[in-house]
Amino acid sequence: MALGGGGPQRGTAAAAAANLRRRKTGGAGGAAGGAGGTMLQFYTDDSPGLKISPNVVLVMSIGFIAFVAILHVMGKLYFVRREG
Amino acid sequence: MGGGFRVLHLVRPFLSFLPEVQSADRKIPFREKVLYTVISLFIFLVCSQLPLYGIHSTTGADPFYWMRVILASNRGTVMELGITPIVTSGLVMQLLAGSKIIEVDNNVREDRALLNGAQKLLGILIAIGEAVAYVLSGMYGSVSQLGVGNAVLIIIQLWFAGIIVICLDELLQKGYGLGSGISLFIATNMCENIIWKAFSPTTINSGRGAEFEGAVIALFHLLITRTDKVRGLREAFYRQNLPNVTNLLATVLIFLIVIYLQGFRVVLPVRSKNARGQQGSYPIKLFYTSNMPIILQSALVSNVYFISQLLDRKYSGNFFVNLLGKWKESEYSGQSVPVGGLAYYITAPSSLADMVAHPFHAIFYIVFMLSACALFSKTWIEVSGSSARDVAKQLKEQQMVMPGHRESNLYKELNRYIPTAAAFGGVCIGLLTVLADLMGAIGSGTGILLAVTIIYQYFETFEKEKASEMGFFGL
Repeated sequence: MALGGGGPQRGTAAAAAANLRRRKTGGAGGAAGGAGGTMLQFYTDDSPGLKISPNVVLVMSIGFIAFVAILHVMGKLYFVRREG
Repeated sequence: MGGGFRVLHLVRPFLSFLPEVQSADRKIPFREKVLYTVISLFIFLVCSQLPLYGIHSTTGADPFYWMRVILASNRGTVMELGITPIVTSGLVMQLLAGSKIIEVDNNVREDRALLNGAQKLLGILIAIGEAVAYVLSGMYGSVSQLGVGNAVLIIIQLWFAGIIVICLDELLQKGYGLGSGISLFIATNMCENIIWKAFSPTTINSGRGAEFEGAVIALFHLLITRTDKVRGLREAFYRQNLPNVTNLLATVLIFLIVIYLQGFRVVLPVRSKNARGQQGSYPIKLFYTSNMPIILQSALVSNVYFISQLLDRKYSGNFFVNLLGKWKESEYSGQSVPVGGLAYYITAPSSLADMVAHPFHAIFYIVFMLSACALFSKTWIEVSGSSARDVAKQLKEQQMVMPGHRESNLYKELNRYIPTAAAFGGVCIGLLTVLADLMGAIGSGTGILLAVTIIYQYFETFEKEKASEMGFFGL
């Protein structure tokens, strides 16, 4: 009974997945998304540029945050010394 | 094709200097996507709390206070510019391409690369331009007060923050994260704002004793401390200067209406030509273009405000400058508000009473909102490649046909629904924005509408990701 129930269940799931993938490859006008540009997809394609990996972006951002924080600390120290 | 010289080719020399996130070459698992999204969000949130180094004061009039939420920017912090550079450059490029001023052949790989490059380059340039304009216009104190060194430092910080936002957005879009950076940042900023307005524990002394800023906290505080409970309740609901419970309820109401309307759709049945029994459906939603009309509309309005304010500060009294907008500092908040000219008429009336007092302003505003949203919505489907023709082409490529219709009829059938859905959806979005503004929803009608539609999109993305993940395990 349970086995019999399992068969078609998996079959439909696979069909649904295939359907989904097919729809996805369909491109921008995908069914669930409505219009192609709903999520503001401005950069979609590869272009020959300065290739950076996603981790570099994250490290760069954190580096920038650290840089500004250090600027604040240095600014405080420097001002205190000059006034004192 | 169109002559020897093409504007797009001007970008080519810069292309190799533009930072570019690698596309994901493997399928990123859902868990990893969530991780990337959360880290990006964390960076954004830290950036929008971190004050800029070297600024003197931010006490002057804030020209953008109503745009802050929508543009995901925070005053006096590194995220001062927020997403303005990307949104503006995207808007400009899409409109240029859509109106055929620059020719882009979407089927040519190089053209698409050049267009993307141009967009990014323009974004970076706009970030520099805006940073310089902010510093020179004396938003952080005059340049002589700051010193040249600090002024340059501020410009560099703002500019680099702009680049980081562009990179984070690209990172999320290239398949490492969920949705797009822009949507994520707008929604987060908006939700933060709503939560803060509802539960803020800050007290403000407004002459009648200390009052809590947060609407919900104030409600309980007033109910407990006041001896006359009814008057306390009324005050909690209708106080003017601070967020009140009515505002909160209006926000919730708008939220529910939008979610309800998201379900409105026309479902066209489609069938695969090859695989027999492959039934599918192509839903056309009422909000076909979703929140794009308001994003474009607010980008337009914020640019009008920015230019108008700059001009008004420098050449006030000039006839044309006055026609564009006259600004005055409000006595309550010290913000400068438009009091005349075009900028005034495209600003939402502050209340129903204000609407009755200035009927022309109200009518002009409503007409402007509705027509702008409808128009942007209609242009957007052309620009973004989701017009009836594009959809028909996609369906044809997938070998899908509509049962009971000839193949050549597909376009006509789609064309019956899509432009109407786009225009009508745009009008609905505009109408909801006006409604939210009039009911005084927290954080402006535009903001709340953006937030709701984005959250809904994220909800859909989650569902889809989960479904495809399940599908993989199922296989």
